[in-house]
Amino acid sequence: MRWIWIDAFTEFESGRRARAIKNVTLAEEYLHDHFPGYPVLPPSLMIEGMAQTAGILVGEAGGFREKVILAKVRRAEFDDYCVPGDTVGYEAVIETMDAAAASIDGTVYRNDAKIGSIALMFSHADQAATNLGLPEHNFVFNDQFMDLLNTYRLKSRD
Amino acid sequence: MALSRDEIFNRVKDVLVEALGVEDDEVTETATLSGDLGAESIDYLDIVFRLERDFSIKIPRGELFPDDLLNNPEYVDNGKLTPVGLEKLQEAMPHADLSGFADNPDVSRMPEFFTVGTIVNYVERKLAA
Amino acid sequence: MKFALVDRILECSPPERLVGVKAVSLAEEYLADHFPTFPVLPGVLMLEALAESAAWLVRATNDFACSVVLLKDARNVTYKSFMKPGRLLRTEVTCRRMAPGESEFVGTGYSDEREVVKARFALRHFNLADRAASMAGVDARIISQARERFALLCSELQGHQPVKTTG
Repeated sequence: MRWIWIDAFTEFESGRRARAIKNVTLAEEYLHDHFPGYPVLPPSLMIEGMAQTAGILVGEAGGFREKVILAKVRRAEFDDYCVPGDTVGYEAVIETMDAAAASIDGTVYRNDAKIGSIALMFSHADQAATNLGLPEHNFVFNDQFMDLLNTYRLKSRD
Repeated sequence: MALSRDEIFNRVKDVLVEALGVEDDEVTETATLSGDLGAESIDYLDIVFRLERDFSIKIPRGELFPDDLLNNPEYVDNGKLTPVGLEKLQEAMPHADLSGFADNPDVSRMPEFFTVGTIVNYVERKLAA
Repeated sequence: MKFALVDRILECSPPERLVGVKAVSLAEEYLADHFPTFPVLPGVLMLEALAESAAWLVRATNDFACSVVLLKDARNVTYKSFMKPGRLLRTEVTCRRMAPGESEFVGTGYSDEREVVKARFALRHFNLADRAASMAGVDARIISQARERFALLCSELQGHQPVKTTG
């Protein structure tokens, strides 16, 4: 299982908002455990999809200089769930952002129908706070995430 | 719009209940944010964002909770605030009751002085300004 | 990768409380992406571990009456620290309200006695047959596998300490 919970950006307004999608497919092995005979995308992974959408939005606004880490899920509510064949939509809007933290208001869609809302807070991981020997370089924004953003930018140029 | 202290207290209470997931009756004037209400460092930032939104005020970094002062090596010696640091803190926090802090200005004791009342006082001053 | 975020149940006192363990290992492939050079258990999987611990408590309380148990909402989920491979996440969940179709919990995750995550959340529980009678067979299969898994998680064979079960 790779740790990438969005497939593509469909909208990206630097410093303001972004929209990404994730397809749910039977090819994803973990779905067969959750649950056997009734595969459904775990809500915790919908929270991660929103966190990745929002994290890249916040990171890009800061030129990817900071290690943007999910610090708090203020609220996540789900009225429905997604199954294989569905496309999940994550819309993230930056509510507030300063040097220390960012707060995001998010909406989750199942094939364009709203099924939930997720409000998150990110902070910047720093050496002093964690003293866990964080590597110097920005390990948060690795190739996978940068590729997603680059693909979107190339596509929107056409 | 002139809000009474009671009205401010009630709105601050709503913010804390939402941000910290505590019960209404836990939010008293003297309840400490960390000790009594379980606030973590990210919660302090959450509280600042919500107060800004709910009261339409701008809270510059360090004005409500002076973390930059407390982390400044110029004002902290061996985990305690220097006399100059203590003076700066008192200047920076007219909204807090720091009377019990001066005799042992250990930086780790600071959370004991961040109470619900501290926030209400701050918002009151901010709105009156 | 298998999607199971509880490896062992240390304590089960339905309907009030359950204590579980999720062991974190470099063998978990997704850690290579989270993050490269700094593998740590993703925060949402800490929440999932709490939710699954609570789901086991629901199943133990209603004797596996419902096949599907899913997160309905989560609030005030705060992350205090990173969890590295080689560590054990101890999940403690306390039930605030238990109803046939819904339940509410507070949960805390600890790594070496240090709090790493806390959350308030609600679960919804149902049978697929509630919506489509033809799914009754699937419900039965999910429930049967859940019973087996629960027995494994509680088995005295898993550890040196006997599991305390009450209620």
